[in-house]
Amino acid sequence: MAEQRLILDTGPFRVGVRSSDAALSETLNYFYRDSLCQDGPHFLDFDIRLTGARGVRRWLRPQVYFEVDGRRPFEPQPAENAFPSYEWGLNWCIATSAHRYLMLHAGSVAFGDSAMLLPGVPGSGKSTLSAALSLRGARLLSDEFGLLQPENLTLRAMPRGIPLKNTSIEAILEFHEAAQLGPTYPKTRKGRVRHLRPDADSLARQQTPAKPRWLVFPTYRASGEQMLQPLDQTEAFRQLAFNCFNYKLMGEVAFRAVAQLVREMDCYRFTYSRLDDAVECLSTLARVEPPTERPGR
Amino acid sequence: MPEYTGARRAANRAAGPLSPLIQFLRQPDVVRDWAPGDWNRFLPLARDAGLLGRSLYLLQAHGLLAVAPPRLVDHLHGAVNQTRYVQGQARRELRHVARLMQREHIPLIALKGVAYLAAELPPSDWRSLCDIDLLVPKANIGRAEEVLRDGGWGPSGEFDAYDQSYYRDWMHEIPPLVHHSRQVEVDLHHNLAPPVSRIRIDAEYLWEHSVAVDDASELGVRTLAPADMLLHNAVHLFMNDELRGGLRDLVDFRDLFEHFCAADTDFPYLLHERAAHLGCTRALFYAACSARRLLGLRAPDTFFTALNADAPLAPVRRSMAWLIDQVLAPSRLGLRRTALAQWALFVRSHWVRMPPLMLFRHLARKAFRSNKSVVPVTDLPG
Repeated sequence: MAEQRLILDTGPFRVGVRSSDAALSETLNYFYRDSLCQDGPHFLDFDIRLTGARGVRRWLRPQVYFEVDGRRPFEPQPAENAFPSYEWGLNWCIATSAHRYLMLHAGSVAFGDSAMLLPGVPGSGKSTLSAALSLRGARLLSDEFGLLQPENLTLRAMPRGIPLKNTSIEAILEFHEAAQLGPTYPKTRKGRVRHLRPDADSLARQQTPAKPRWLVFPTYRASGEQMLQPLDQTEAFRQLAFNCFNYKLMGEVAFRAVAQLVREMDCYRFTYSRLDDAVECLSTLARVEPPTERPGR
Repeated sequence: MPEYTGARRAANRAAGPLSPLIQFLRQPDVVRDWAPGDWNRFLPLARDAGLLGRSLYLLQAHGLLAVAPPRLVDHLHGAVNQTRYVQGQARRELRHVARLMQREHIPLIALKGVAYLAAELPPSDWRSLCDIDLLVPKANIGRAEEVLRDGGWGPSGEFDAYDQSYYRDWMHEIPPLVHHSRQVEVDLHHNLAPPVSRIRIDAEYLWEHSVAVDDASELGVRTLAPADMLLHNAVHLFMNDELRGGLRDLVDFRDLFEHFCAADTDFPYLLHERAAHLGCTRALFYAACSARRLLGLRAPDTFFTALNADAPLAPVRRSMAWLIDQVLAPSRLGLRRTALAQWALFVRSHWVRMPPLMLFRHLARKAFRSNKSVVPVTDLPG
């Protein structure tokens, strides 16, 4: 197949992806057909290309390189993992250059225009929770990046395919049988991965920012009682700052933004084991506390 | 596609497509005619050259921010945020080192990027840096290293016996150091050019003319005299390394030259005189001519006439100009002729700084080493 270029909007970024891999084009189309741009003159934030390795490799164990700005920042990956490589590569591009934003390592969903932030280290279940909440009608902002505009403390949406890892795949299918999942990637560096397709509504509204309202630090436990406990501001500050990709880099701007965020948001620690109950609990939280101006803002 | 003026079309015929970054740095108003495709070619070039911050200030100064795509301006602001952070780290590292040197009564000159920061010269608005370059008297360098090692600094990488002797016997610096709890590399020099090279710089003379930095904390940090600062830039760019500092260093040269000229109209002649005294007129010739050719450096004609006295023969001059343009002003990244020109300049820079037999041994050794620099995939989010 000749090289093709897709141009897609992913939140505040416009990305070009060139590749001659038909399977990759098909997968990109499956996930992002609702946010593709017409080919034409566009300013691209990231001009990405996925190319196969040449030589004997091509036949023995095909590999794919992720290229941006004509450079290859990573070692090649198995060709069948072209789509996860693209997703990780784009994350790397954003994490290393988008310092116009304060980048929170957090899943985030919106109820109306009020956002719920779910920061957490890998394994805390933020992807799974974001996926499940979006399947129950919340608007997906991102499963990974809370892109905060420090000047007005609003979150930019960046809905992408949510990489579900290992047992999360079955958990989501059990939670929502009709969940639209892409191909299975049995062997990635994170184990078995399958992505949940972002819903059309979230993609259609991806240019609408949301106002952070609830801050929930999730912890997944295989068993045990579900607990939603209020978190004091000092602890919330410490944990949110810790879960911010460019906190040190943004210096005083980051300090002020995080301090203001924890002051304005309702902060909780959340331990859960059953996805159904967790989603019910968080949705209720959003329903019973309609966003209102509170004293002390 | 933008409409090309006659002059630009002629330039395109002569040297292939012009780098949009170069066009912008010479004549910022060109961006008024730019289509999205031109900005797309511009962004990777400016990012690669470390000139995103410079571009933001240039657009601002010329009232062109509204002309640029807003998402591009976001990238420029992001780069400046990152630069501010790195500059803060460099300033802090300089303070740590300076405090120790002061205690030992070892004089200290800040060089290049960290000197521009310390002296608040124009590049400090936007210029990032990846290490701090410092100069101490040769007689003190052993003690300086000892003090730093006792203070928690150690080798910044793995240096085998060959690397150690390469630095210590042949070069004008010791193997780079880094503090165990911080990330800023400290390059400790005792001269501006390798002792084995054909350029011999009289370090005594540099120390005599060095300038104390106005610093509230009075850590005794000095910088080179303005003219020597520019000569160091020129020597570093055109003699020491294969144009590694790239276009950014040439932009530094132009900006500093014009800054010092604004304060003293005789500066160009002083500069030439100092170059003659320190024996680096050839480097100054390349730097000034490249800055004029690529960046429209404004300098009196008589300055260039004086420089021409030390110019190489016309064929050498022309081929060097071609090589320099391929490396500093490629029309896009990853061109094969850029790599070729880089290699030619790499060989030349070693030719200039090493006697032939030493060069042969060094290149033979380098040829057996692979230099991998990839991001470990495990560091990715997701």
